[in-house]
Amino acid sequence: MLRPGPRQAPRRNRGIGRGRQTAAAYALLAPSLVGVLGFLLAPVVIVLVLSLFDWKLLATPEFVGLANYRKLFTDSDVWHSMLVTLYYVVICVPGTTILSLLLALLVDRKLRGMKYFRALLVIPWMATPVALGLVWSWIFDPGRGALNQFLGVFGIDGPAWLSSPVLAMPSVAAVHIWQFAGYNMLFFLAGLQNIPRTLREASSLDGASPVAHFFTITLPLLRPTMLFVLITNVIGSFQAFDTIFVMTEGGPGDSTEVATYLIYDEAFKKFDFGYASTISVLLFAVVLVATISQFAYFERRTTYEVSG
Amino acid sequence: MKLRVFTYAVLVIGCVFAVFPYLLTVLTAFKGPGQLSETMPWEPGLPPSTAAFDRLFGSGFGGYLVNTALVTAGITLGQVVFAILAAYAFARLSFPGRDALFWVYLSTLMVPPVVTMIPLYLMMQKLGLVDTWAGLMLPTMLGTPYAIFLLRQFFRGIPADLEDAARIDGAGRVRTLVSIVLPLSKPILVTVTTLAVVANWNSFLWPLIVTSSEDKRLLSVGIALFKGEIGVDYNAVMAGSLIALAPLLVLFVVFQRFIVRSVAVTGLK
Repeated sequence: MLRPGPRQAPRRNRGIGRGRQTAAAYALLAPSLVGVLGFLLAPVVIVLVLSLFDWKLLATPEFVGLANYRKLFTDSDVWHSMLVTLYYVVICVPGTTILSLLLALLVDRKLRGMKYFRALLVIPWMATPVALGLVWSWIFDPGRGALNQFLGVFGIDGPAWLSSPVLAMPSVAAVHIWQFAGYNMLFFLAGLQNIPRTLREASSLDGASPVAHFFTITLPLLRPTMLFVLITNVIGSFQAFDTIFVMTEGGPGDSTEVATYLIYDEAFKKFDFGYASTISVLLFAVVLVATISQFAYFERRTTYEVSG
Repeated sequence: MKLRVFTYAVLVIGCVFAVFPYLLTVLTAFKGPGQLSETMPWEPGLPPSTAAFDRLFGSGFGGYLVNTALVTAGITLGQVVFAILAAYAFARLSFPGRDALFWVYLSTLMVPPVVTMIPLYLMMQKLGLVDTWAGLMLPTMLGTPYAIFLLRQFFRGIPADLEDAARIDGAGRVRTLVSIVLPLSKPILVTVTTLAVVANWNSFLWPLIVTSSEDKRLLSVGIALFKGEIGVDYNAVMAGSLIALAPLLVLFVVFQRFIVRSVAVTGLK
């Protein structure tokens, strides 16, 4: 996926010295170097250091070694929030991926007006998460909300979606899926359009059914797209915050208290920067492992399945 | 034949789902007091009323709107200009450390923003920039790895001969970039700019943390706090949401063709 291209031979060294080219390059890079190294990479290092300190607002930071980590492993709130986060990821990632793939298969057909359908389906991605979170809170409102009013038309007495510990999480996750299915559809659409049409003709001449064609030819060839969609979605769902902040504030109880929300709470409500940093390190480690293992899995599978 | 009818049917249902919350926002925002409890949420209220907007702007919402527009414009301008410079260096110049540095840039895509939030806050505190415009804008405006990556890919696809010709004619690096490379890069520039505008306009967590005074409040924070302050005044909340959504929708309608195509093409290379 995101891979620097093959090393390019320096091409235009005529007339410009290597030293001057290096100076020019670093001059062009200067602002982004400050941004990337200073505001993206350095904070990762700092958060690692902070996790070794006991640092409450206004108090002097005190080095405590791994004490925060010892606390982490026995803190049921943390493990609860990691499980809640995993639950969220486990609903959102397959939900978004499968729905967006199905939508892509539909809009890949050459029919009239297809470009309008494509555009309409991408609209949820534009949503200001906070604004749409509030709109959805109202749709889920048990009394006057659109969903229960709609169910009422059929004589169904709808539940209190967001104030039920069981239903709150799936409801919030549904909003996530709603928001990103159309956007991810675009990537699958690009992947589908890169598959040569002749393969379809060949397999239908061989008498393969569309379903067999999908599983033996389309799906294996979509592997790179699949990896991209899965990885961006896993990273994205682990970081969910805005919608949850306005829809449930982590509740009811702590049923939607995802890790990001817990970190926000510890750092900016309880002002316990040291411990919040420790939870951040844990979250980062989990995201890293999830991302790397997807790469590994796909690398291993791709080699033999495409030929088989 | 049957398959075509089925396809259309599913797509129509899908699109209704996609657009419904937006429709609901518009309908609710323009409902008058009392109409909300009398009508179904999706029924238009008659006659349309702007009372919710009056309440909204009566409580400082206009200021949030101006703030958001200015901050979005400022951050986006910085992000795009600095990304162009960096991407050009990565695409066209050869210098020691180039590939390693590019890897570093890309790897930062994996860092969850919430992880960097605490250090960034403490940095801004040390610099005395908490609750200032600079503190709000600086951390995001300098380096955007994703934009740099997309632009670099595109720049590399532009034939180098064009630039060589200009350089033989005596044009300098900057001149070549501005008059040869950028005009050829319009589609990707539109895409990168749009992605940046959407992200900056919608950004929530950092503004929530780093600003506290009301004269620096942004739309998304304003709306989130509104829920608590106004309680269950759904009309006003929807009116606010509508104002937050409208500019992005306009942007999307204008650039829809570019975005749909180039997100699909460039995201994967």
